[in-house]
Amino acid sequence: MSAPLDRDTIEITSPCEPRFLSVVRLTVAGMAARAGLGVAEVDDVKVAVSEACTNAMEHAYPPAEGKACPVIRVRMTAREGELRVEVEDEGGGFDPKRLPKVDLEQRVQEEGGLGVYLMHQLMDEVKIESAPGSGTKISMVKRLAR
Amino acid sequence: MNRVNIQKTVLHDEVKVFAPVGELDAYTGPELREELTTALDEGVRWLVLDMARVEYIDSVGLGIIVGAAKRTAERAGNLAVVASRPNVLRVFEISGTRELLNVVATLEEAQARLSWPEAEKGGAQ
Repeated sequence: MSAPLDRDTIEITSPCEPRFLSVVRLTVAGMAARAGLGVAEVDDVKVAVSEACTNAMEHAYPPAEGKACPVIRVRMTAREGELRVEVEDEGGGFDPKRLPKVDLEQRVQEEGGLGVYLMHQLMDEVKIESAPGSGTKISMVKRLAR
Repeated sequence: MNRVNIQKTVLHDEVKVFAPVGELDAYTGPELREELTTALDEGVRWLVLDMARVEYIDSVGLGIIVGAAKRTAERAGNLAVVASRPNVLRVFEISGTRELLNVVATLEEAQARLSWPEAEKGGAQ
């Protein structure tokens, strides 16, 4: 994520702490509005991005690693009728092929594990790139409903 | 400092209404979980989550409510959620929890949906 930003893109770096989730949501809502998305679409984006950040905060940096101040980076590109968001961490990563298939009923009973499911439901595109030891990048797209 | 303001109303020894204000996410959610756990530990069996002033909820808040619903069910009680904001309703809808959590539009509907003894409902007026 060190590449130069184009004119439609902003990037924020947040401490890996849940108290900053609301700040990330405010920023992404602003960018979604700038892309011309409707109120309901902006709400969808807020939840999806918050889920991606929460996953990074809860799973990317196990306490045993002892990193001083891990961060997540959120890059947002707003173009007419479309918002692209990337949420990236430099944590332990995982093999996306080992993500369990979502059994909605079972997940609900387990009281958790719905974050990735919600992302897929709320966004038009979701791509998860990760590998053990190399961090995780979640790329998502939301388009204006036509 | 409280992370989230939660207003509580006791309708009966075993019936309590929780009305969080603001956002329910990984930062604020644990405080609601703690409050609900305390109430359940104290013997509350019927819970109403009044989400009228909740502006945002995601899978963390949802998981907390599902957990509380399971605990009330274990005690032959129940839980209902009052919600009308479209973005809040959408999270219940797409997660398939709208029926499971008795999501209704008003507090009156929630009281009607939960089946605590009629005498106790009368006491809540």
